[in-house]
Amino acid sequence: MITGNLKASYAADEQVFDNRNKRAFLYAALLGLAALAGFADDYVILVACQMGILLIAVVGVNVVTGYTGLISLGHAAFVAVGAYTVTIFHEAFAGAIPEGLRALIAIPVAMAVSALVGIIVGLPSLRVKGLYLAVATLSANFIVIFLIEQEVFAPWTGGMVGIDTPAPDFLGWTLDTKREMFVLIAALGVLTLLAVQNLFRTRVGRAFIAIRDRDYSAEIMGISLLRTKLTSFAISAALCGLSGALFAYFYARILPEQFELALSLELVAAMIVGGMGRTMGPVFGVAVIVMVPEVIKSIFGVATGGEAGVAQLLAPLQEIAFGLLIVLFLLFEPLGLNHMADRALRALNRWPFAR
Amino acid sequence: MTLTRRSFLATGAAASAAIGAPMVLRAQPSEYVFGASLPMTGPFATAGQLVAPTLKMFEDLANEDGGIGGVPIRTTAEDSGYIPQNALANYQRALATEENLVFYYGDSTGFMKLVAPELRGENARLMGSTSFASELADPEKNPYQYLAGPSYEDQFDILLENIAAEGGTTVAFVYSNTEFGRDPLERGRAKAAELGIEVVLEESTKAQGADIPTHVTKLAQANAEYCILQGYVTGVWPQLIGGARQFGLPTKFMGTFWGMEKLIADRVTAEAGPFLDGYLGVMPYRYSYDAETAPRYARYAEYQKANFAGTPLETYLPTWGLQSLCAMELGLTALRRVHEEGKELTADNAAEALASIQDWDSGGFFGVPVSMEGNKIGTGRVYRYAAETNLYTPASDWFTV
Repeated sequence: MITGNLKASYAADEQVFDNRNKRAFLYAALLGLAALAGFADDYVILVACQMGILLIAVVGVNVVTGYTGLISLGHAAFVAVGAYTVTIFHEAFAGAIPEGLRALIAIPVAMAVSALVGIIVGLPSLRVKGLYLAVATLSANFIVIFLIEQEVFAPWTGGMVGIDTPAPDFLGWTLDTKREMFVLIAALGVLTLLAVQNLFRTRVGRAFIAIRDRDYSAEIMGISLLRTKLTSFAISAALCGLSGALFAYFYARILPEQFELALSLELVAAMIVGGMGRTMGPVFGVAVIVMVPEVIKSIFGVATGGEAGVAQLLAPLQEIAFGLLIVLFLLFEPLGLNHMADRALRALNRWPFAR
Repeated sequence: MTLTRRSFLATGAAASAAIGAPMVLRAQPSEYVFGASLPMTGPFATAGQLVAPTLKMFEDLANEDGGIGGVPIRTTAEDSGYIPQNALANYQRALATEENLVFYYGDSTGFMKLVAPELRGENARLMGSTSFASELADPEKNPYQYLAGPSYEDQFDILLENIAAEGGTTVAFVYSNTEFGRDPLERGRAKAAELGIEVVLEESTKAQGADIPTHVTKLAQANAEYCILQGYVTGVWPQLIGGARQFGLPTKFMGTFWGMEKLIADRVTAEAGPFLDGYLGVMPYRYSYDAETAPRYARYAEYQKANFAGTPLETYLPTWGLQSLCAMELGLTALRRVHEEGKELTADNAAEALASIQDWDSGGFFGVPVSMEGNKIGTGRVYRYAAETNLYTPASDWFTV
């Protein structure tokens, strides 16, 4: 049982993983990911990649909504910007930049462009809050998709019909299989989580939380609302841009319809189910949003032998089961799965003295 | 060495062991699997729900005919909700869980495009789909994917040729602002120019909930003799025609495959009156009630009567079901040919066999023998809807483009 964390030096005080349990969890998680990359079948790899891509975007939404308290329903737009930026970048600099370097530059560029778009979309957050901001960001989603679909931009974006995406090449290593992409996605996913965990130990991160808890109090304490809110939007959008870049590299083709409102809602739903304003919240949320429908489908498939006539009747039931599950989570655990996991771990840690 | 009876038998036994053993080891599987993703929920749930039962019918009838070389087939389907990524996950799951998956049926253009680059080596399977997108019919780029009929571009060609044959000189293109709606426009313009038909209006609408009066007004201003509607399934096209009729426009309306379902036309007629009377459209297949000299349709009808009693499928097979059945029959034909040639049922062999389907007697789907050219069958015919009889009847001969 750990009753406290002894910190005998400043270095120990600055550690993210400040006790052996947390370190053990990190190593186990890394081992688990390595085992997945090595042994899982293609289907599991596909689902894991989908989860990883979504996870990075949900971490982004968590920064702006979970930590800064600014509701956004338009984050799919930033994912789209990231996805289209890397695709266009690869096309535009096909001759100018060696292939092995293109992805290394394209990913940061995609994040930067998304951040820029994020700042623009975040501007209304200075004047409006809550549901009004949600509607303002929602419109960003529609505008970005509308622009992508325009015939004028079709030579770059492919317009309505979408566009084939490149396979990334890192210094000669072409990631042209799902398994190789999984390595990249998993690495960037872990890095994103660590970066965000660290962000909230810095002045900027704490300013985000101060704004979430009471914005005028934060302002009185000397936090610039303008700069901090826009920084939050920029960081959040950049992470979604990263997610978009991976999305483009992962799928062989991107279509505008993949980045519509449904994706924005999925991101917010994953964040809420997992736990807002918690580092591990998005991990739990994404696991539920992506994996549960797959598990339900597999269970129903095994139970019925996958016969079409039965699947026809059960398909709507699967949707209902999934919806019901989300409602039950929100009813019985409004603080998200992360909170549930916290309680379970706490009970385990203090057993048999507490439950 | 002299060949005695004993040494002959010993040599024979050794030879059979050497040659025969691998054959035994590579024994035929107990079944072959035909997988499918269908939109059983979501915006096209109506279509997915009607197509699902036909899979079982296909399975039963194919197995009555001996499956593939005596090995029975099994169909399996999963819901995609019409989301391409979900369908991709379904396909990957089928690959991982079904050892003998030999064919897959996709449910959208989006999915077919998303999955195309994945179809390599071990992961490749012969693949049909609900889509008639022109881009998919490209054996160089997508060797394993095919269209079980004419592409939307071909369907436009068929309609425009029909207009030219009737002496029409002006046409309007009204299309939904989707990939589906825009697919054949460029080709349509070129074909119209070639046939000397003037395209007097190109009007884009929303796929659902379009602003009908505005579009009808534009149509009236353009005063086209014919109007081709593209990119709609259940909505917009009936309202547009209704609006135009109320306006008193004499324009003749035409549609492509997805706007030709009798169930939809019947429902519109029952609810809003006979304004769809005379609506023309191109169909790759004969309607299921057009079963004369169509042994396959007669067999389907018998099965439907016995197995789908009390459902809309008892007496009628929707065009969407016919499309899936035709795609799967083509896949089955190709796979049977591979088996007959004694080859393994790989996607490459199946694609090769698919291309060899020439002058195919489809047993009813098409009114003439058809051929797989460039991974599609460019054959179709114009049908006209009669509100009084609630039937689509042929308005042209079969065209092959």
